This record gives sequence, C-alpha cells and structure tokens, in this order.
Amino acid sequence: MKSKPVVAAIAAVIFAVGLSACSEVNQTAKTEKVYAGKKDERAYDNKLFGNDKQKWETAMAQRSRTQNEYLRTDKK
Amino acid sequence: MARMKFICDAERCIECNGCVTACKSEHEVPWGVNRRRLVTVNDGKPGERSISVACMHCNDAPCMAVCPVDCFYKTEEGIVLHDKDLCIGCGYCFYACPFGAPQFPQAGAFGLRGKMDKCTFCAGGPEEDNSEAERTKYGRNRLAEGKLPACAEMCSTKALLAGDGDVIMSIYKQRVQRRGKGDEIWGWAMAYNRNDAKPQAAGAKT
Repeated sequence: MKSKPVVAAIAAVIFAVGLSACSEVNQTAKTEKVYAGKKDERAYDNKLFGNDKQKWETAMAQRSRTQNEYLRTDKK
Repeated sequence: MARMKFICDAERCIECNGCVTACKSEHEVPWGVNRRRLVTVNDGKPGERSISVACMHCNDAPCMAVCPVDCFYKTEEGIVLHDKDLCIGCGYCFYACPFGAPQFPQAGAFGLRGKMDKCTFCAGGPEEDNSEAERTKYGRNRLAEGKLPACAEMCSTKALLAGDGDVIMSIYKQRVQRRGKGDEIWGWAMAYNRNDAKPQAAGAKT
C-alpha cells in the first residue's frame, strides 16, 4: 500500500523529464557581436524624403508593386 | 515595413544575365567581382532552370557571425552591409556564406585579396548618402533615391523581384496561382516532396 505514492512520484518525475524533451531549444548562436564601423545614414534621411520614414516606405511599396504586371494587364 | 528581400522566379528566368550586367554597370564593379550571378541547373537539358543569386541579406547572417573585425551591420530594413574601412579581407565571410556572395577583388600580385565586396541591395554603405566616397566604395545608393535595386528593375521578364518582403511575396503568390497552382504548393509537404501532398488544382502544370 505504501508503495503506491512512491510509484506515483516516480511516474510523475519520469513524465516531467519526458516532457522536457519536447521543449524547443534555441538554435541561434548567442554571439556578442557589436558593429565596430562607421554609423550609416538612414535611406530616408535626405533632401528627397526629409527624414520622413512613412513617405519613403510608401514610395518603396509603390515602386515594389510596379513589378506586378498583372496590375497593368488586368485593367484591360 | 517588413524586410527587404529578393525572390527569383525560376519559371521566368531566361538566363539573359541582364541582372548581372545591370549590377556591374550601375556600381562600376571592378573586374573579377560579380555581386550577382546566374546559376543554372540541368543546363542544356529539358527542364533547365536558372536563378539569379546574390547576397540574400539573411536574417541571421553567418557572415556577420564570423567576421573577426565586426565590420557587418544590418539596416532597419534588414539589409546586411559592411564597412570597407574596417574589412581586412580575411575571407572568413566567403567561407561562411552559403550563397558565395562575398567577393574579393585582386589587390596586387600573387592573388592578394582586396577588401570584401558584395551586393548592397543598392543601399550604399556607411558613408554620406550618394557621396563620392559611398559611390566609390559601395556603388550607387538607389534606395536613398526611392528606387529598387538595379538588377530587379532591369529584369526583362520580372523573374527577379526585389523590395518589401510582404509585397514581393504577394506578387509571387499571385503568379503561382495564375499558373494553376493553389495552396498545395506551400508548406511542409511541398518542401519535402511528400507524395501524399494535397492533390493539385485542376489544370495545374506539373
């Protein structure tokens, strides 16, 4: 009778250890790399876009969509 | 904005080398260096396919991880760039890169390597935008002009797409659906070529 709790405890430990195998291990290398070079300017930090990120992103998205010729052909 | 990415549509690429030429011309890339090149599989055989390859601007770039002088950085848009003033031309990045993107110009006799050169997604480098220094070291900064990379804009069949990952992904998906393919071409089964993948849509090419 006394052995039941012990068996249950052992089963619980085995269950917990077994479940731990299901966890996902981070495979990304943890490197302490810090860029050591000169600071770069942002693409929109210039006269054309006046440091307006939204304006630049809109322009880029618009330009990207022009690569889709179906937008032109489907209008016909 | 998502990350800036390239996609090459192997169904459309006709191996014209227009992207390679556009890149070399736009940035006046030195002799012996090809920031972009074409890879053809089954060359001359039925089913031949070509894709245009350059730096893929990896999310977790191995070149950045191995650089001993930490000359790589990533822009807000996910473009992997480097500082040529720091680069020592060791070649570690070349060995780490699965795409062979880093290139080394010959800087002297006996194969002496110069500083690494690679695709910048036409975003220049860590110099004043569109300055002479930036143009000389890294080439033209088209992104600062609101333009896409020259290779993609030059592509006559629009096989090579460049830009915001979400936008070019939607363009590519639309094309694939026009070819009669459906949702069965995405996901695990397609990637690992399982025979029990979902049946193809009617009229789909094989």
